[in-house]
Amino acid sequence: MNDIIIAILRSGTPLVYVTLAGVIAQRAGIWNLGLEGLMIIGACATILGIVVTGSVTLALLIAMLFAVLASILLWFVVEKLKANPIIAGLGLTGLGLGGTALAIQSFFGSQSAVNAPFGLPRLGPAFGAYGVLSILVVLMPVVVFALWFVLCRTRFGLQLSACGQHPFAARSVGVNPSTMRLIALSIGGVLAALGGAELAAGSLQFFGQNMTAGRGFMAFAAVIFGAAHPLGATLAAMFFSVLSAIGIRAQLVFGDSVPHDLIQALPYLATVFGLWLSSRLRGGTAGGITELRDD
Amino acid sequence: MTDPHAPALQCQNVSVTYGPVTALNAVSTTFGAGLIHAVVGQNGAGKTTFARVASGLVAPTAGHVAIGSRIMRGGNVAQARAAGVELVHQSFALPPSFTVAEAMEFGATGTGRFFTRRSLFARWRPHLESLDISVDLGARIRDLPVESQQGIEIARALVTQAKVLILDEPTAVLSPSGIEKLFERVRRLKAQGVTVLLILHKIREVLAVADTVTVLRAGRLVDGPLMTTDVDGARLSRLIIGEASRGFAAADEQALTGAGTVEHTSTVGEAATATPVLKLSNITTFVDQEGPALQDVDFHVRPGEIVGVAGVEGNGQRTLVRLIADFARASRGEVHLAGQNISTQSLAQRRSKGLRIIPFERNTEGLSLTSSLWENWTARALLEKPLLRLVNPARLRSECDAALKAWGVRYDNVAQKAGALSGGNAQKVILSREIDPDAKLIIAAQPTRGLDIGATAFVWDALRKARDRGCGIILISSDLDELFDISDRVVVMLAGRVAGTFTAPYDINAVGAAMIGVS
Repeated sequence: MNDIIIAILRSGTPLVYVTLAGVIAQRAGIWNLGLEGLMIIGACATILGIVVTGSVTLALLIAMLFAVLASILLWFVVEKLKANPIIAGLGLTGLGLGGTALAIQSFFGSQSAVNAPFGLPRLGPAFGAYGVLSILVVLMPVVVFALWFVLCRTRFGLQLSACGQHPFAARSVGVNPSTMRLIALSIGGVLAALGGAELAAGSLQFFGQNMTAGRGFMAFAAVIFGAAHPLGATLAAMFFSVLSAIGIRAQLVFGDSVPHDLIQALPYLATVFGLWLSSRLRGGTAGGITELRDD
Repeated sequence: MTDPHAPALQCQNVSVTYGPVTALNAVSTTFGAGLIHAVVGQNGAGKTTFARVASGLVAPTAGHVAIGSRIMRGGNVAQARAAGVELVHQSFALPPSFTVAEAMEFGATGTGRFFTRRSLFARWRPHLESLDISVDLGARIRDLPVESQQGIEIARALVTQAKVLILDEPTAVLSPSGIEKLFERVRRLKAQGVTVLLILHKIREVLAVADTVTVLRAGRLVDGPLMTTDVDGARLSRLIIGEASRGFAAADEQALTGAGTVEHTSTVGEAATATPVLKLSNITTFVDQEGPALQDVDFHVRPGEIVGVAGVEGNGQRTLVRLIADFARASRGEVHLAGQNISTQSLAQRRSKGLRIIPFERNTEGLSLTSSLWENWTARALLEKPLLRLVNPARLRSECDAALKAWGVRYDNVAQKAGALSGGNAQKVILSREIDPDAKLIIAAQPTRGLDIGATAFVWDALRKARDRGCGIILISSDLDELFDISDRVVVMLAGRVAGTFTAPYDINAVGAAMIGVS
């Protein structure tokens, strides 16, 4: 039983951090499809940071810096150059996937994976079987709660939601939606970097090309499934992780009788099902409200 | 108390241009503190722009606004709010998923940045009670009726100590009794020392509530502020319409400016026994995305009759149009067009039988703004023919040119984009397309919204002429003066039901009572 819980926490934690990044962007009115790109930038920068500086703290700071810069780039393209946020987000994902591959090639030649000498600090033997979990796993509930508090229990959070739902309402109380979106995307950059760091250095200690394998898009699905609520989206992300853990188990049990590919597709199928369910429950009004015209 | 002679809000040579359009042109005026000021004018006169400049939402291109004795930077809402100016928007600016308490909090300033649900209720309940607004603080904005939403929006504007409260066309969405309550509220605010600016477009309302009146026309200040004790309806009407414009029938002029009670004499004679051009029998629809479902609606329109549909917005008017246009399905009941059951027919089939629609949103549903005028104009005739039929664009263009000229549309050439036309001209393009000799039933949904007085009168004339030719017409409007002036019969919709049918002479109080369900 312990090992399945550990497996769920290990696969779920990166997903939750990235989902939270998506939640805050969604609330501010940007459909962030660049999550995949941000996550892999975070993963790559963490491993390269550890290799180059030899310090986990510095590596995490470097990862956050790059993910925040990439988020600011997205903000600039969407808000200042008035690009379609969905296309711009997909572009960011392409930039992340391609840019990280380029980065490790320029550092290490033709390698497609980089190993780090060590990963994130673990809890240690004092926690028994759970000692293999990284500190970011323990930090995750704290971050979820903190984001819930900021988004749902502060005036800042209400103003952020207003920017997403009804930007004109935000402007008419003196809030600048563009500035709020910059703040939201920057916070999202930090969170996505943590998700990437946990993925590459939480249980593993290496970075490989395309290692996010669609987790950023799954996180985005969790944002929609969870109605952009920090707690709801976290639950959705954990639900997807439980399914993928069950999938791995089922693979061991059923082995030959069920096709291996089908079991691996389970979390993704669940994502599609979850999206369908959430749009049914909410009457299909998932579409964003665009800024009302001024006259 | 406030010195009644001190200026609360001043405009110095304020001009605003949006691209090539001049919305305000060198407006200079001063509003004294502690009074109720009305700002009136036709649609397109610059009233909303004026409100937005004064509240810091729009930066003036030239000139400046001063609040009290402080000159505002322009285009800075936070600064204007700090100086005590608050604006209540015509289409309310509240995030729809917020609860009432959250809607108060998100615009608040000062201490108390964190909250629990309970502390939020405790913080805002006294505020709402002091304004006599009784509403569940946990209710979501999107679930509230429009009159409560306006109350919430006013309360939202008053969360800071507002010295100047500007309301942009607050009466446009209200029932007659809602308007009366609003005016009571405004008078109480005045008694508390708040300077109120009301953007209005009905003279009757101006004379009922305001201390002074200021008239704008085509972005310029015509006159004002004048004391309302010194002006009468006739003079205001002249100031609003302008001397240069053509003459209107007396009843039309009263309806256009809201100067008095409109008297309508029914013209329906022998047509009363003819087969209805539209008959809805006992219709119930599924829940519709654009409003409440229709319930047990019985409704008919005879040839040569204009039936007005009154009601506070969002009470099923859109569903009614969508039902007749085959966008919403009935779960029960039948739709008959000119005696035939068309319940299962497509919109194309219905159109070929003479259904014509002047839709609610002329810029999204009525016209393709990025297509040329001739493409927009020919859409009706072309879509009735097989899709693979050859067309002769040169001939279509010349036909379109002739038709638009006959309707008095002002345009350069038929190849120009529909988006380049003004609201009135764009509506004329739709009229010339939808009012053709084969039309039997014309649905005119808010056909004059946003149009200036000349264009409004033009639309009325066009509908009357179609009626006199024998068309049945449904006129949906939130302007009771308009409905009373040109409708032969008025039905009131409330929550998806027909709440009453009225014939001329209309009793505004009875219609108003039916609109909110008081019998």
